[in-house]
Amino acid sequence: MRTLYLALKYLAVTLWSAFVIFPFLWMLSTSFKTQNAVTGGATWLPWLQFEPSLAGWRALFGGAGGVNIVKPYLNSVVVTGTASAIALVLGTLAAYGLSRFSFRAGPIRNGDITFFFISQRIMPPIVLAIPFFLMLRWLGLLDSLPGLILVYVAALMPIAVWVMVDFFNTIPRALDEMAWMDGCTPVTTFIRVILPNVLPGLVVAGMFCLIFGWNDFFFAFTLTFTKTQLLPVSIVALNSSVTPWWSLSAAAIVSVAPLAVLAFVVERFLASGGLKGAVR
Amino acid sequence: MVEIRLEQLAHAYRRGGAYALRPLDMTWRSGGTYALLGPSGCGKSTMLNIISGLIQPSEGRVLFDGRDVTALETGRRKIAQVFQVPVIYRSMTVGQNLGFPLVCQRLPAQTRRKRVEQIAERLGLGPMLHRPAHSLTADQKQLVSLGRGLVRDDVAAILLDEPLTVIDPQQKFDLRRILKEINAEFGVTMVLVTHDQTEAMTFAEEVVVMNMGEVVQSGSPRALFERPATRHVGSFIGAPAMNFLPADPMGPQVAVAGTGLAMPRPDATEGRFCLGFRPEHARLVREGATMSGIVTRIWFEGLDEILALDHPSGEVRLRAPAGIGLKPGDQAGFVLEDGALRLYRDDRLIA
Repeated sequence: MRTLYLALKYLAVTLWSAFVIFPFLWMLSTSFKTQNAVTGGATWLPWLQFEPSLAGWRALFGGAGGVNIVKPYLNSVVVTGTASAIALVLGTLAAYGLSRFSFRAGPIRNGDITFFFISQRIMPPIVLAIPFFLMLRWLGLLDSLPGLILVYVAALMPIAVWVMVDFFNTIPRALDEMAWMDGCTPVTTFIRVILPNVLPGLVVAGMFCLIFGWNDFFFAFTLTFTKTQLLPVSIVALNSSVTPWWSLSAAAIVSVAPLAVLAFVVERFLASGGLKGAVR
Repeated sequence: MVEIRLEQLAHAYRRGGAYALRPLDMTWRSGGTYALLGPSGCGKSTMLNIISGLIQPSEGRVLFDGRDVTALETGRRKIAQVFQVPVIYRSMTVGQNLGFPLVCQRLPAQTRRKRVEQIAERLGLGPMLHRPAHSLTADQKQLVSLGRGLVRDDVAAILLDEPLTVIDPQQKFDLRRILKEINAEFGVTMVLVTHDQTEAMTFAEEVVVMNMGEVVQSGSPRALFERPATRHVGSFIGAPAMNFLPADPMGPQVAVAGTGLAMPRPDATEGRFCLGFRPEHARLVREGATMSGIVTRIWFEGLDEILALDHPSGEVRLRAPAGIGLKPGDQAGFVLEDGALRLYRDDRLIA
């Protein structure tokens, strides 16, 4: 009975893993194919069914018919990393304030302010395209890294606020009060007493920021021209009248890699009990 | 260790709204033990939060050793508080928890370690200094909270906000004993908030009974027991509660009809009168009883029994030694100890 249960369990896990891994393997294999191996029906095994070629990979570094994605890649790293960090810092501070202090302006209360932040994500991004474009042009920041970082901070901060407000709300207020009585200043209280307790929240919020920032195409596309390209835009630029599946696959692999590593590290962190005792 | 004085202190949570705490004056001597006793929502926690500075009172002043601290922020008042639900810095070890107030004071590591070890030793937390604080049991966490107050040699007072509510009965007893010992040893002023009369009476030298945002009576446990200022205090303190029987002016006396219970008549006779006495002050007698009635119920309480007697004027309860051989339905009579009877007019003590 137990053996049967185990067998079924492993079978299910194996099937699901195959289901998840297959697109990645297909991407990997396609990235080494030539045009004939892609358009002439499905081919599976390298060397037997098709002759592997590095053409797809060369195209990523400015090879024939390709686009050099090294600089856009670094741009994406800088923009996503910086914007996520800033959004996380500002968002966490804002969330702490919203969780601990009462604000009111006319009929507006804390809940409304929190909703205001979240509503930025409900709104379709296209609504913001023209205002952002005009604002960046006015600032002279179109097609520049600082301009993009500014816009991404605005886009990512709602996520950080949203996640962190909930986490701060689970921390009893008595903890702040106790620290004050112990003679702590509000800033020390926040950094030394409260922050260590919301570490899981910071990890989750940071991960969301990185994922959304890294994957964004819309703002990267509308607010840049040629000088400052981000990865998603340059990958689209690989496209031509004949879809180059091989180089697109190679590009997809390198652009997914950092998020895969991130997911792996976060999963390890959560599983290792890095958060033990942080939650009641 | 300071003397805490509250001058015309009052608080309303909304401007012009109802008082959560009615105007009061109070002085707590340095090193004393005090208890704020009352049902939930009676204003005792509000009072505590005003003393610790978490709430700004809407009226009146708070003085520490004569110095006005009403506007002083919490962090500068040198108050320690033990909360109802154990609160600890869960990201730190026990030792770091105890030493945190000293870190806030920027004391050197050497001094901190010495103080922390000393206090941990005293509280029996010595072997746990390096354990993560979140792994402690509830009563140990409360000890850590207490210890955080004791490590600072400048602590003004330790406020205890129903610290024993979530503790198991046996540990409750131990913790209460430790609190008393610590108070005697360190001479630190302690204010205990509780709705448990036994806790208040056994812990404090002075108990402040509160109800509906008002201080009803303040005095030693003995005074509260023997001369409750209102019927509410008499019912709230003591188990079983004080007996109250309606009385009427009769000649030169105020008496309960059909009994020998009587007090001299006061000058003014308008208002509702009643006489009260403690179940502990009644003694069963076979002859010459001041009052008698039919036994309706008997509760077993170890060495004692509680008897309920039915009488046309109302039911009274007495505490009697166990094994007196009475059973429900029997006739029983009692006399009161001298000076045990109290006279109330409109629920307030007048004699």
